[in-house]
Amino acid sequence: MRRLVVVLSMMAIASVARAQEIDRTLPSQLSAATRATLERFIDSARVAGLPVDPLYSKVREGVFRSADDARLIAAVQRLGHDLGDARSALGDSAGVEEITAGANALRAGIRAPELARLRESRGRKADRPLTVALVVLADLATRGVPPSLAAASVNELVARNVSDGSLLSFRQSVERDLVGGRSPASALDARTRAMIDDAEKRRP
Amino acid sequence: MSEPDNPRWLDGVSDELRRDVPVRSAWRARLLDDVERTRRPSVGDDFDDRFDDAPGMVTRRRRIVLSPVTGLAAAALFAALGAGVMYEVIGARSIARNASRDGGSSRDVALATASTSAGETVRFELAAPRASRVMLVGSFNEWNPAATPLVRDAASGKWVVSLRLSPGRHVYAFVVDGDVTADPSAPRAADDDFGSANSVVLVSAPRT
Repeated sequence: MRRLVVVLSMMAIASVARAQEIDRTLPSQLSAATRATLERFIDSARVAGLPVDPLYSKVREGVFRSADDARLIAAVQRLGHDLGDARSALGDSAGVEEITAGANALRAGIRAPELARLRESRGRKADRPLTVALVVLADLATRGVPPSLAAASVNELVARNVSDGSLLSFRQSVERDLVGGRSPASALDARTRAMIDDAEKRRP
Repeated sequence: MSEPDNPRWLDGVSDELRRDVPVRSAWRARLLDDVERTRRPSVGDDFDDRFDDAPGMVTRRRRIVLSPVTGLAAAALFAALGAGVMYEVIGARSIARNASRDGGSSRDVALATASTSAGETVRFELAAPRASRVMLVGSFNEWNPAATPLVRDAASGKWVVSLRLSPGRHVYAFVVDGDVTADPSAPRAADDDFGSANSVVLVSAPRT
């Protein structure tokens, strides 16, 4: 009976996944040489066990934005390397979304050891992925918060098992402060302390 | 018979071996799919393989035969699962409505609360009063600028579109009268490889 439930659940999930699959072909607008270079690179990433959908998506984004071939290839290769570095930092058990968000955080200026520290802070008992924390981290760094400060704050919140919803509220609060003219370091410090105080109060 | 140290014919053979060999795309796709499906070896594989080969051991395969009673029970369970999914959808939408009323971003709410296996309907909106045309592009529509137009909401004056997204991380941007712009109310992606930043929306994976 348990197996039947598992099979039915898998079928339901698979049908949704099929509905929004990434097109794993390269656009026809690319030159033969560019196509060959990209195919080789994406094949290598696939064999290395890296998620390749973000690479195909990057190619399509480049075509949409009319990027020249050299720029497009450089962007895809850079993303591939970031995905590899993110997986190394987050560990083999990291999911596709975590690796992709981790690669984006690296791109925003967060260092690989800081990603690894985030994984350690979550600990073994926490079963939730780090995707939201990584998205928040990349967003803060992109908005001008010094990456090392952003990493330290998010790490602190993850270590205290702050929920994903609270992490998102934290991001919005910092963003509001920045728009209001507060300095990134000051906004981050005040919001992190407020979030930690809140987490302490909620503790049973 | 011995060959000279660096014969000329060897260079020719080497060049020939390095040459790209054209392969049929269907064959290539099938091979790559097989590669992807192949489980990566991990610690303990030897142990597992040994038991797979041993007849009558714990890992042997079994056929499942369903009696009519079990079949009815399975149908009831499936209906209950369906009701549970509907409950989650209604609950997530209600939370999204409340957050929207409170000034929060519906995309962030989707990130935090959506939990159905069927993904989540995410509402994208942009205030661009002077725009004449707004489109949504992203990883979910192959960055196709013609695929997802936004329409002006008469009540709020904002450009809006609702889209059902599968669980996962999606990168997107708006195209406002031909100019690509990030969503001001969503987390930013750092990868501005092509000139301007994108935004990120996350839809939670189903709860297990």
